[in-house]
Amino acid sequence: MTTPVLEVTGLYRFFGGLPAVRDVSMRIPAGERRLLLGPNGAGKTTFFNLIAGDFPPSQGEIRIFGQNVTRKSANQRTHLGMARTYQIITLFSKNTLLHNVVISLVGLREIRFNPWSDLRRQTPLWDEARATLALVGLEHLADRTVAETSYGERRRLEIAMALAQKPKLLLLDEPLAGLSADERQDVQRLLQSIPRDVTIVMIEHDMDVALAFADVITVMQHGQVVVEGSRADVVADPRTREVYLGH
Amino acid sequence: MRAPSFNLLSWLIAIAALLALPWLVTSDYYVNIASQVVIAAILALSLNLLIGFGGMISLGHAAYLGVAAYLSIYLTAHAGFGHLAGALIAIGATTVLAMLFGYLALRASGLGFLMITLALGQILWGVAYRWASLTGGDNGLGGLKRPHPFGLNLMDPAIFYYFALAFFGIALWCIARFVQSALGQSLQGTRDQPRRMRALGYNVWLIQWLSFVFAGFWGSVAGLLYAYYHQFVSPQTLHLTTSAETLLMVIAGGTGTLLGPVVGAALVVILKNVVSAYITRWLILLGVIFVVIVLFMPEGLVPGITRWVRSLRSRPRADKAADTPSIAKDSAR
Repeated sequence: MTTPVLEVTGLYRFFGGLPAVRDVSMRIPAGERRLLLGPNGAGKTTFFNLIAGDFPPSQGEIRIFGQNVTRKSANQRTHLGMARTYQIITLFSKNTLLHNVVISLVGLREIRFNPWSDLRRQTPLWDEARATLALVGLEHLADRTVAETSYGERRRLEIAMALAQKPKLLLLDEPLAGLSADERQDVQRLLQSIPRDVTIVMIEHDMDVALAFADVITVMQHGQVVVEGSRADVVADPRTREVYLGH
Repeated sequence: MRAPSFNLLSWLIAIAALLALPWLVTSDYYVNIASQVVIAAILALSLNLLIGFGGMISLGHAAYLGVAAYLSIYLTAHAGFGHLAGALIAIGATTVLAMLFGYLALRASGLGFLMITLALGQILWGVAYRWASLTGGDNGLGGLKRPHPFGLNLMDPAIFYYFALAFFGIALWCIARFVQSALGQSLQGTRDQPRRMRALGYNVWLIQWLSFVFAGFWGSVAGLLYAYYHQFVSPQTLHLTTSAETLLMVIAGGTGTLLGPVVGAALVVILKNVVSAYITRWLILLGVIFVVIVLFMPEGLVPGITRWVRSLRSRPRADKAADTPSIAKDSAR
């Protein structure tokens, strides 16, 4: 049996006495498109943050590419081949789009500790960043600052920064949130163009888009997994209806 | 041939003015003031690395100034070391101290970081004040004679000024390179989005610690020059007021710029030394100037003046555009 890209066992996270994530176990094989569904407050983003290493779990184990990363820091996990985007866009707003992608590229290279060589003169890095921006259709805006771009362009930049790191596991936290219909289509096309060797775990509220994208769906409520299975199984399950419609 | 850019030209003018200063200012008194400005500027530049580029507000930066000064005077004047050995040990040991202080202070961020740096600085001040057998206590430590590197007589104010200016030039160049390097850019990233930086694979703590040590190193260089200039050091050098004064230089000049701390250092040192000769309550004047800067240029003098100049330059264009008849505007579209 091949090693899963992400394996979570008995994960708990308490904030004070409040359990935000309760006994979540999950096994995601390579290349899978996994969708996390659930109403607001279901614990999806907390679960993402636990996987990304933003804070440690209260209990349970997280394995990425077979390695136990439960106590590893966020940056160590990134070096294993994981990248993520944020629900609330987190970019360097005063810098250009190109500079944002360069910062993303530098994060995984030895040069990040170099206190001497001028980053502006690292031509291959800037070329690579430009190519990544072209991939998400933002090359023409490369020299604009983030503050001068639209919300949809910033969403695409977030994805570009994640893709620049050539991850094997990509965590997307509501990549379509707040986008117009046209922008949604653009980002949707972009997500569908990501090669299959990249495993994607995505949180999304837009059911139509999300269901079309996912291989396996996990529905969460009150920090727990309620339903898990294929699209057809999850849609047919009465518990999914209960979670979303309350009856 | 391309004409030199405004930036290059202004740099060349600034360098020429700094080099010509001892001829322009004939009085030894003012040349000595210029030396003090240069030393304070090195300290302010190093603190600006933490505040402006790293977002780490420290109130203990005088520790490096004071420790390096104490060590160099003690080793050279009282322990029988040569000037070069004394200087190298003083800078080395102070940098090691910065490593330790950084390790302790970076256990917290924001206000916690500020309080730890303040506490560590004050501990050193207490040690300098109470350990009289080693530090001379309240009387301070003196007896240092200025060195004669390459046969230069550093007792001559102009020669000392050039000596300090050379260190300032090296410090400015190294710090400028650091800021543009991958590590320097990463430091600025950790200031703006630490969580994002972690997710991108950066060890935020390590980046901040390395920058802290680098800043400590340049603080110690300023301390060495301080010792050579004053040939004396007292606990006041390590005190919170010295750290706060340096912080004031950085904020008044403009954080996150290279020129800002230099201008801030000049402002504070000149007020302290020159204006205080004419106005007894010069600290009130310093306070008023600081309030005016904060009110009208909250980003500091250098970025504030730059903003004003830009807006003045763009105003005639905007006026011209406003004067253009609407038909002409429409046809221009």
